[in-house]
Amino acid sequence: MVSGAVRYAADVELTGMLHARILRSPYPHARVLRVDTTAVPSGVVVLTPDDVRGLGAYGCQIKDETVLAVDRVRHVGDPVAAVAARTPREAEEALALIEVEYEELPAVFDPVEAAEQDAPLVHEAHRVSENPAAYFGLRPEAGTNVCHRFRIRSGDVDAAFGDADVVVEETYRTAAAQHAAMEPHASLARWDDERLEVWTGTQTPFNVRADLASVFGIPEERIRIVALPMGGAFGAKAFVRLEAIVAALARKAERPVKAVLTRPEEWVTLNRHPAVITVAVAARADGTLLAKRAESWADTGAYADCGPGVAQKIGYTVVGPYRIPNVYVDSHCVYTNLPPNGAFRGYGATQAVWASERLMDVLAERLSMDPLELRLRNVLRDGDAFCTGEIVHDVRFAECLEAAASAIGWSEGRRGKGLCVLLKGMQTPSRAAVAIEVDGGRFVLRCATTEMGQGARRAISLEAARLLGVESEQIAFPNPDTDVVPYDTRTTSSRSTHMMGRALEEAVRDLRESSGTRGFGEIRNDGGLDPDTGQGIASSHWHQGACAAEVRMDEETGKVDVVRVHASVYAGRVVNRPGGELQNEGSMIMGLGTALFEAVDFEAGQVTNANLSDYEVPSIADMPELTHDLIERDGAEVHGLGETALPPVPAAIGNALASLGLHMTELPITAEAVLEAVDRGRKSDVGAVTAG
Amino acid sequence: MRLSLRVNGEAHDVQARADEMLLAVLRRELGLLSVRESCGVGVCGACTVLLDGEPVSGCLLFAPLAEGREITTAEGLGGEHPVQRAFAEAHAFQCGYCTPGMVLTVKRILEVNPSPTLDEIKLELAGNLCRCGCYVKIVEAVQRAAANATAIP
Repeated sequence: MVSGAVRYAADVELTGMLHARILRSPYPHARVLRVDTTAVPSGVVVLTPDDVRGLGAYGCQIKDETVLAVDRVRHVGDPVAAVAARTPREAEEALALIEVEYEELPAVFDPVEAAEQDAPLVHEAHRVSENPAAYFGLRPEAGTNVCHRFRIRSGDVDAAFGDADVVVEETYRTAAAQHAAMEPHASLARWDDERLEVWTGTQTPFNVRADLASVFGIPEERIRIVALPMGGAFGAKAFVRLEAIVAALARKAERPVKAVLTRPEEWVTLNRHPAVITVAVAARADGTLLAKRAESWADTGAYADCGPGVAQKIGYTVVGPYRIPNVYVDSHCVYTNLPPNGAFRGYGATQAVWASERLMDVLAERLSMDPLELRLRNVLRDGDAFCTGEIVHDVRFAECLEAAASAIGWSEGRRGKGLCVLLKGMQTPSRAAVAIEVDGGRFVLRCATTEMGQGARRAISLEAARLLGVESEQIAFPNPDTDVVPYDTRTTSSRSTHMMGRALEEAVRDLRESSGTRGFGEIRNDGGLDPDTGQGIASSHWHQGACAAEVRMDEETGKVDVVRVHASVYAGRVVNRPGGELQNEGSMIMGLGTALFEAVDFEAGQVTNANLSDYEVPSIADMPELTHDLIERDGAEVHGLGETALPPVPAAIGNALASLGLHMTELPITAEAVLEAVDRGRKSDVGAVTAG
Repeated sequence: MRLSLRVNGEAHDVQARADEMLLAVLRRELGLLSVRESCGVGVCGACTVLLDGEPVSGCLLFAPLAEGREITTAEGLGGEHPVQRAFAEAHAFQCGYCTPGMVLTVKRILEVNPSPTLDEIKLELAGNLCRCGCYVKIVEAVQRAAANATAIP
């Protein structure tokens, strides 16, 4: 690491390989009338819509994407052609020689408007995917841009709102954000005797393999995906990104083809779902929560990607880690003509927690209650039922909250301080498997868990060493290769240390009981939610955390100065302490960016800040005093730590501002918005209603 | 055109276009893959190299302008440089993509200011982004490297 010896996807080369570049739509929505490539020199391979018209569609949850846009572009940056040439420069020059004629179509950029009956349709008909990434029933709404809606129906919400002493309601918004992994997307493909090999920076080798099989109409066994270490991913390297284009180019070129995105292309490839969430909560005068009603719109952009899954996560996460007997949620995943939005560290929780936890402080203020007291009165405890009907076990929400509050001296004065608590689900259902091969004194892990900097290799190797009773130096963990490793759902949702740790226990048992040369272990976590009622098993165990923040605010400039942030996260059992600490610290820093300055800016569908100069990610100079706890308990299982400390940071900061009388409803909390709130005479902008 | 570059203490003759950036030439001609492109506009520090000891963005420097200068990349530090050791001991990285640029920048920071304060570290490293957010441990690494360098044997 410190010598720069890691080889990422951008670093791999094959003899004779060509370099790809992509021609992208300048329009948010248009018919493609003509793609003229006659001026491109003969030595350059060009992929046009006609080349991909006969190929299959792909998409992890909805098969709504083609290798290039065919007949219609749906967002600025939608690929309309691609070229492969001997040098990146030659490829770049060839792009300029392709002429495309468009006919612009009406476009829609707001998820609430897009969900209306008369909005321009981004896709004329809804489709679904049959691959394992679509793990719940999809509920597209015909004739609209709603590609999925998830509902929770629990108890009698109308009656409970009618009986409540206090009702508060507000609408919260979260902006699009860009993952901005330091390493851009990169993929390399080669065809050899009707067999496709792809070396790529991906979190999801098996999902990519399934989608490419769908595109090229070949069995998955004829496709090999090698998942190289990633220079950061944060969700952006989940599912197909560049892989389909380089594979199609390589097939046409009959040569290996590699593509590396330029930095600005990242902003038209994948961002985080902007969301609008209206939430209302009903309570008794003593603070007991009676009911919650929420409606949310997740803007998935021009292609669904995993947006339906994000809408589902928003749907139950917005209920919060509370005992609420009556819950009514409608969560919509909506197409717009923005670039696609997908998995992003926090996966729907960031948007949902901002809404639900800001509203808890509005309720506390209305009730004249300590926000900590209000939360502790209602948080889920062992044996309680969540809104999905599942009974929760080994939950430590109260402990996380108390630890976070204590860390910032909550009892010594609450002015300028804010709290937030969250529950976050882990991918359910899912499967994980690992094989251990004994090679002399070495133990080789055949495991599909990918490394993106989260330290999964280190954590899983340490677990393997512990279970085998050997030194971690004896464990080898080669890059995942779908030809060699057993199936695993994917490396997302902070599941890998937990799931692979359990699979390793099985593999070690098998190794001991069998020949002693190879052990295989497989586990699954079963469950899932009914999309119409939200009942079932949302998560086989819960990621749990709380956050506390202390802020100062400059009334002249609106600048928010975050003095300190503390996160308390339930770890169960820590496998790799420095790794766990890094996850908490990194999550909090990313949460700080979401809280205060990260937003993808659009002007009529065009990204106006597609570079790391105008789009600000946190630098070391932005870092406040950051502290955290990894809460453990004897005998507990391992809990993933990859993202729990991110979603609570914005709401903790928002609540700290609320303690100063500034009720912010939009992320990021810009200085301009704070100044506006100050100018409103520090009057709450909360449209709260008190019921009888 | 032909360029004579002095990199990590050795002289090299390489082929490059006059308008090529040092980053591309170091990677393609010399296989120095620790020098990494990220932002492409000189704000993230991932492509940092030392030019006569000073950190510069390899993505913004025309390769011919580096002729006659001493170029240092992370490969040239050998792996056991005190700053590299401090980063490893402090676990000051996750994905590692920004680490070579960080290490080179910190090397220079400590040459100029052997005992930087927290504020000085933050100011001097603000041009090296780490999206994994390892900043807490990067500060520890700088302090550790500083302490090791100034420790009386």
